[in-house]
Amino acid sequence: MKKKLGVYICHCGGNISDYIDVEKVRAAIENEEGVFLAKTTMFACSDATQKEMVQDIETNDLDGLVVASCSPKLHLITFRAVTERAQLNKYNYVHANIREQGSWAHSDDKEGATEKAVQLVKAAVAKVRLSKSLEPIKIPSKKAVVIIGAGIAGMRAAIELAHMGCPVTLIERDHFTGGRVAQWDILFTSDQTGREIVSRLYNEINNSKNITLLTGAEVISNKGSIGNFRLQVKIKPRYIKDHFDDDKLKKVIAVCPVEVPDEYNFNVTNRKAIYQNPGQYPKYPVIDIKNCTRCGECEKVCDNIDFSLKEEVIEVEAGSILVATGFDPYIPQDGEFGYNEIDNVITLPQFKRLIDLCHNDLLFNGKAIKSIAYIYCVGSRQSEGENKYCSRYCCTSAIHTSIQVKKNFKNVKNFHFTRGIRTYGKQELLYYESQKDGDIYLQSYEENPLMVSTENGKICVKINDILTGNREISVEPDLVVLVTGIVPRSDTSISQIFKLPGGRDRFFNEIHPKLRPVETVIDGITIAGTCQGPKNVTESLNSGLSAATKSFSLVNKGELELEPIIAEIDKNKCTWCGECEKACPFDAIRMVKQGDKDVAAINNSVCKGCGMCLPVCPVNAINLISYSDKEIESMIDSLAGKG
Amino acid sequence: MTAINTDFGKDLSKYGAFDFNACYNCGTCTAVCTLSTEEDSFPREMQRFSVLGLEDDLKGSLKPWLCYYCGQCTTYCPQNANPGELMMSLRRWLISVYDWTGLSGLLYKSLPATTAGMILIAAVVLFYSFSVDFDLSRIMHTGHTFEIIAIVGVFSIILLPNLIRMWWFIILKPRIQVPVINYLKALWDLIVHMFTQKRALGCDDNELRWFEHFILVLGYLGLLFTTVFLNWFSSDSVFVIVMGYIVSIIVFTVTLIFVYDRIRKKDEISKYSQPSDWLFIIWLTAMGLSAFIVRLFIDTGLLENNKWLYLVHLIILAQWALIIVPFGKWTHFLYRSFAMYFHRVIS
Repeated sequence: MKKKLGVYICHCGGNISDYIDVEKVRAAIENEEGVFLAKTTMFACSDATQKEMVQDIETNDLDGLVVASCSPKLHLITFRAVTERAQLNKYNYVHANIREQGSWAHSDDKEGATEKAVQLVKAAVAKVRLSKSLEPIKIPSKKAVVIIGAGIAGMRAAIELAHMGCPVTLIERDHFTGGRVAQWDILFTSDQTGREIVSRLYNEINNSKNITLLTGAEVISNKGSIGNFRLQVKIKPRYIKDHFDDDKLKKVIAVCPVEVPDEYNFNVTNRKAIYQNPGQYPKYPVIDIKNCTRCGECEKVCDNIDFSLKEEVIEVEAGSILVATGFDPYIPQDGEFGYNEIDNVITLPQFKRLIDLCHNDLLFNGKAIKSIAYIYCVGSRQSEGENKYCSRYCCTSAIHTSIQVKKNFKNVKNFHFTRGIRTYGKQELLYYESQKDGDIYLQSYEENPLMVSTENGKICVKINDILTGNREISVEPDLVVLVTGIVPRSDTSISQIFKLPGGRDRFFNEIHPKLRPVETVIDGITIAGTCQGPKNVTESLNSGLSAATKSFSLVNKGELELEPIIAEIDKNKCTWCGECEKACPFDAIRMVKQGDKDVAAINNSVCKGCGMCLPVCPVNAINLISYSDKEIESMIDSLAGKG
Repeated sequence: MTAINTDFGKDLSKYGAFDFNACYNCGTCTAVCTLSTEEDSFPREMQRFSVLGLEDDLKGSLKPWLCYYCGQCTTYCPQNANPGELMMSLRRWLISVYDWTGLSGLLYKSLPATTAGMILIAAVVLFYSFSVDFDLSRIMHTGHTFEIIAIVGVFSIILLPNLIRMWWFIILKPRIQVPVINYLKALWDLIVHMFTQKRALGCDDNELRWFEHFILVLGYLGLLFTTVFLNWFSSDSVFVIVMGYIVSIIVFTVTLIFVYDRIRKKDEISKYSQPSDWLFIIWLTAMGLSAFIVRLFIDTGLLENNKWLYLVHLIILAQWALIIVPFGKWTHFLYRSFAMYFHRVIS
């Protein structure tokens, strides 16, 4: 029981003292048991007052501190630091919130507010009387990072971590790296192709001793937690042994009789069961075993084929995991703006592949394309459904593509059916260029959408154009391009394995969009790129670098300091019923053997001290450090006026 | 339902419009325009119609004529889409639309065709003079007769039918129901706008320019009246002679100021000059100046030895009367006044 407590009651300018009589509060608590010193102050957070507190603690040898002021979210850390500066353990500080929970909430009742403030401060005093000095939990952290997803965000993050001397395992589910960007031709603003960018990143990864690249590899489970993640990774074989040259590859591809839609070209073309796309790395073909009929034709012309290769599962350890699993392009529903129902209606990703594949003439289904209608915000900014967000990249991408089309092919006319153009930042220049060049922009609201139909065998797009006084305007284009947005991956295995929560939009959620933009609520797991939400290439790389730095900070010292306010199990009382394990949102409780008895055990590195397990325990075997029953009960007694 | 016609923009650019496609429809131009009203808001709508190529709407619109080109829209346009020059080009285009002969369009779009026409007229004048052995009194007599025939002919064959076409595009074709009495009531507006161009005073800081233009119009009409109806060159009346001097001085002085402005390119209105603009003010200057010198030479007895001077004047006059007046920029004098007239008739 502490006997020398210091209490400070803050005016907060007038935010508190205009409604709460702070002098009355001080008088009401100065004779509380253990209170050695009680003061009021104009601004508790000011430098001068902080210095005064440090001096008071040191000269009077105080053993506990209470500041009654604003929300702990604002200044808990400030005043904990004050105690530390005065050589007092910071867990002997208790914060009383008399602003948000007092003066601001009860500005209509000054007396009541003052009375409530007295009780709140008394409760804080009751708690600090029982407080104990605590030391942070220290756990070892393996100096290695696993990056899941070798798109541009993951690749760039891997290179950065490797530069900082951190071993990286880069895990890619596909057989090739580069993700979506590897599928793109020229990109705005650098005028480099997506393939060039990917090849630069790939070469750096290839030359780095610190990076282990696993392709065709999938994380199937995780046994560890921050500091010591232990992942089981399944690696699918390519069914190819040793490298072989392009001529031989052409021959093998020619003899393969299987043809399936080519996902690299968003199904605009077909590929064989053995394939190797021009822009993808590693430059090493792969056999699509799902579609391979094992006819044996390839083996006749190439001795590098080896169907005896087997899947293997390896374990990878790391102190932190960086998730960069990317996005799926939105696939329109059948009939959405004529998709899959009217010929010559395709998506923007398909169109981008198409213009990359066409050389002299722009042809689709054997027909020359001379006029193109681009329909924006397909799958984005929908008031109904989950895709309420703007997909950020698509306006710029569609306009950039339409400019490229005009550059590559002659006499093409572009018509843009938008819901308002969002070419933010430097991308605005592209919009200007496109308009100046004679592209036509029309605009409608969501509640009055445009219509795509066929009339006499021709596609007809009709819009009530708000820029022309809502007049119905029609265009008969040769091709309709649906400017589709970004949606979260349909495969949710990563979120299930790590219990990574998503937001309402189903993208992975950061802790704080501004202050902690790459951390997740799962300690040790950072997120980067479009798995977090729509981003363009630049923004994905920015977040990749940011996540790399954050992950590095978790593994660099080889040791992690964690908050000691966690749950602890009284193993004598525990009878293992499993209720606490079910209640834990962080997967921090496991059953262990103690002698011949089954008991619960807390994983100290994962427990967040949320307290969810406490009320479900039938034998009251769980204690939350710093929030023990004794402490909480003494606070309740104070609040109820019994203290 | 309306279809887009992207080729219209290409045609319109031959009349001087440029970069109007860059418009992103913010409406700043319309907001800063002091002449635009809620009922008749421009230039954004005109810009939009031009981008989409809605020709029928443009043909039936009076809005291009309601603009007097202060250039504020162009100054404030965030996209440098130059709405002021677009409105100017639409006026040029409308002149060609109203013209039943189609020659306006040809002369606006083709400098070689204009040049050829001018040379042809000069050649005819010279050929005639040669055929009468350069007999000055005969030539002057013919010149005066030509003036009268040209005025009557151009008005009845070209301008009147064109005004009827304008009426058709604005009122008949869109089937706007107008009580006949409106046509009478609006006549006063027609006269006021024709002789004062008072709407131009609605533009910001336009008083000086309005005044210059106002006295130019009066000077020009005065010169027309003195030379054609009072036969200035053959008159002995001191009153007529002095009046002729005054009005011709007004014409060439004010037009010289306009030429200077267009060379200096300081104001939006004089920054972008098409051949038709140059032709209009240079010929007006030349006409005033040559008329002035011809009368001066008559009064000093020098003309008989300088017959070429009258020939130059006659060539300028013929080119003016047969090309610039019926097919060129001169027609804005009529269409602007009648636009205000029809505007009043409709409203």
